[in-house]
Amino acid sequence: MKTKIIITLVGLLLAGCAQETVNIDVVNDEGKAVMELDYRDFAQAASEMIQSMISSGALKKPGGGRYVMTTARVTNDTMQRIDTDQLMAKIEEELLNSRQVVMTSAVGGKGAPDEMIYEMRDIRDSATGDEFKQETLAGKRTLEAPELSIAGKIFQRNIRYDRNRQQVEYYFQLMVTDLTTGLRIWQKESIIGKRGSNRSVAW
Amino acid sequence: MKTITNILLVVLAFTFIACDQPPAQIHVREGIRSDTLGSNIVTRPVAHAFSALIGERIEIDKAVTMRNDTGFLELHINGHNRSYDTKQFRYRIEWLDANGLMIQTKTSTWLPASAMGKSSFSLKAVAPRVEAVDFRMDTKKWE
Repeated sequence: MKTKIIITLVGLLLAGCAQETVNIDVVNDEGKAVMELDYRDFAQAASEMIQSMISSGALKKPGGGRYVMTTARVTNDTMQRIDTDQLMAKIEEELLNSRQVVMTSAVGGKGAPDEMIYEMRDIRDSATGDEFKQETLAGKRTLEAPELSIAGKIFQRNIRYDRNRQQVEYYFQLMVTDLTTGLRIWQKESIIGKRGSNRSVAW
Repeated sequence: MKTITNILLVVLAFTFIACDQPPAQIHVREGIRSDTLGSNIVTRPVAHAFSALIGERIEIDKAVTMRNDTGFLELHINGHNRSYDTKQFRYRIEWLDANGLMIQTKTSTWLPASAMGKSSFSLKAVAPRVEAVDFRMDTKKWE
């Protein structure tokens, strides 16, 4: 009986010592750096890319108006399972809000960002389309083709710094291409470097 | 008399050395440039310790805003590091519209910056909206 009570008490004590879950203050995060890419790294890279793009003047359309832009292939060449939308969603949002470009959801490097565009057209062309008010269905040849595309890659290099530490370099490379001429009108590379224990994993 | 002459000659020699300054655009650091009377193996540790004692760090000299060709507000900041050590810090720029209200943008995030000891540094930021007319900047220690 006594043993059971002791075991129960020890168990309760250990449970009480477990780390509690807390929300991260994503606005003013005082947490330490980690070896992998975290949200702060994506925010930093996105901010640098956006500012460079906007200040370069490359997105200023001659004659006024806004370019139609698509996000092409942004490759993840790191050892981590990351979604490149962690970077691109921020960039697309800011480019849209800058009113220099308008993003298309009709074409993209990972397929159409919004498949509903084509689903509605399939519906229009099918028997189900008769159920809809015809004037509310999108007509043919109404989609706008993109004029610019943004593409790039994220890759990493792992380097042995010394006996106890490793250095991991993350490279963010993006470029904007004029789809009509094939000419590259903007390009930037942003580097985030981390140095830490060999025991930390960067994948 | 001889001693006074020798001292005067030494002072004159150091004066000529001090007069031979490189152009202002070139910063030759301690340990690379020749030692002087005020900066040598004896006086240097004292100067460094005093600087750390009185807490010399980053100073902002100038903040200039201008509209670029695309109509966006650009912010250029010049500062200098009064310390002898490299100082790393983070800064965040928030953009304000004509009503003084903050413009929500993903570019308002903590960005890294650093300045080598006794050196100038520059920062540049571009507002992501044409409505931005002013800014405010915050800094914090590098984690």
